[in-house]
Amino acid sequence: MKHLKQQWKTRTSIVLVVSVLVSLLLVSLELTDWAAQINQQGYSHGAAEGEKPKIAPILMYILPFVKELILIGVPMLLTLGIAKLLGLIKRVVKN
Amino acid sequence: MSDWKQNLQKFRYVMDTLLLTSFMLVSAPQATGIPLHEWFSLFFIIPFVIHLLLHWDWVTRSFGRLFANITARERFNIVWDYLLYLMMLLVFVSGFLVSVALLPALNISLNIQDFWSKIHHDSATFIMPMLGVHLALNFSWIVKLTKRMFAKEAK
Repeated sequence: MKHLKQQWKTRTSIVLVVSVLVSLLLVSLELTDWAAQINQQGYSHGAAEGEKPKIAPILMYILPFVKELILIGVPMLLTLGIAKLLGLIKRVVKN
Repeated sequence: MSDWKQNLQKFRYVMDTLLLTSFMLVSAPQATGIPLHEWFSLFFIIPFVIHLLLHWDWVTRSFGRLFANITARERFNIVWDYLLYLMMLLVFVSGFLVSVALLPALNISLNIQDFWSKIHHDSATFIMPMLGVHLALNFSWIVKLTKRMFAKEAK
């Protein structure tokens, strides 16, 4: 805990102030034509309200985590592969 | 493993594991239900801020490093981390702006815009592959610390 306690009040304040300022900038996106266009078109995703998905109840709890593992894991493995390949090419070019 | 509170690297490892676990929990509203998803998201700010505080040296040095003579990999890593931070804020902000449980429970009413619903859905999906790349860029540290954490202590 000693690592967190070091000037934590000042540092946390800086993190929060910067984050709030950046967030306010992000909120201003709703004033753009892009936002107006999406609001005009409308947006919905997932099942309609009141409609139950046609999958086993247990899968409703498992599938979201499987989706996360794939969405995080596949890019991670791809990046590791690319990094390894680039390292290999670098070594070959050097020799 | 017993000295993890005293050792900065091990403390980071434990806190980062907590951050990743809470991220995965927060990112599954279909499993937890929307009200819990929104309350978890509020508390997720704590491990997120702890992550930034524990990497304070990096936070303060990284911008200057961008203009130094560094490798392409390090430059990419710095830019990627900045983008990940921005994306995380976008997920937070859009999430609060489409809140149907948390803000009403705090007596704050909002007119939910389709724009923010779309942004929240898209950014929350996009942040996962971004996190995957972030983990890959720090993979050697993760492997090294995992070995150190679970190494049998010498008697």
